[in-house]
Amino acid sequence: MTREIDARGLSCPQPVILTKKALEDHSEIVVIVDNETAQENVKRMAQSQGCKVTIERRKGDIHLIISKGCSCEIPDAAGSTQGPLVIVIGSDTMGRGDDELGSVLMKSFIHTLLETSPQADSIIFFNTGVRLAIQGSEVLEDLKTLTERGVKILVCGTCLGFFEIKDRLAAGIVSNMYDITETMTGAGRLVQI
Amino acid sequence: MKQGTFHVILFDSVSSALLAEKILKKNGLPFKIIPVPRHISSDCGVCIRFSTPERDRIETALTGRVEIQGICQL
Repeated sequence: MTREIDARGLSCPQPVILTKKALEDHSEIVVIVDNETAQENVKRMAQSQGCKVTIERRKGDIHLIISKGCSCEIPDAAGSTQGPLVIVIGSDTMGRGDDELGSVLMKSFIHTLLETSPQADSIIFFNTGVRLAIQGSEVLEDLKTLTERGVKILVCGTCLGFFEIKDRLAAGIVSNMYDITETMTGAGRLVQI
Repeated sequence: MKQGTFHVILFDSVSSALLAEKILKKNGLPFKIIPVPRHISSDCGVCIRFSTPERDRIETALTGRVEIQGICQL
């Protein structure tokens, strides 16, 4: 049964509140308003809830036919932040405190990156984090898989040099502070481990 | 990634998982530490995943040395 809401003569934000309330209990509603401001406000709210909105004009009134669950524009569950997702890993352990625990958590985290979305655009390794990208690293296979899937892996060259392991790099590309800084400052979202 | 079926060993605590990791590494057995899959519950957040054909060798290595909460197929 379609619920009809007569919001004519009501001032903002009343039509929006009535619409929102009606959508809680009904999957399809018709909202009647008498001005364009109310029309736009109701329409915007309904679309933000993932509803499909059709507008019809009848005898000077505006009818908004709102239905749930059939919109093509389902908002991204993870948010729609613009720009690349960058993950920054500055240590070979996850969190501070116990290194043995931190090492297990890091392995678990990197494995989980393979299974979750959205996929990162770039992953940056520096300081002891670079040890994760060299031969013998227990997460090497995961990093290679991420690379195959198009994730850009940047590994700090200064850090590889410091630990004298540059010749053992096995995943990602040697990077410098310019690339690292630009990738970080150009990120839409930056996740620091 | 290697294809095929996998099993996971669940533990009652992270320290048991760490101990198992050490034993398996020492024995040179192939495995991977992963978070406990969402559909399986465990008291500990991490578990050990291995390729199903390795099951006997891995179980033998751990039996009597680490408390295992359960083994599940993925």
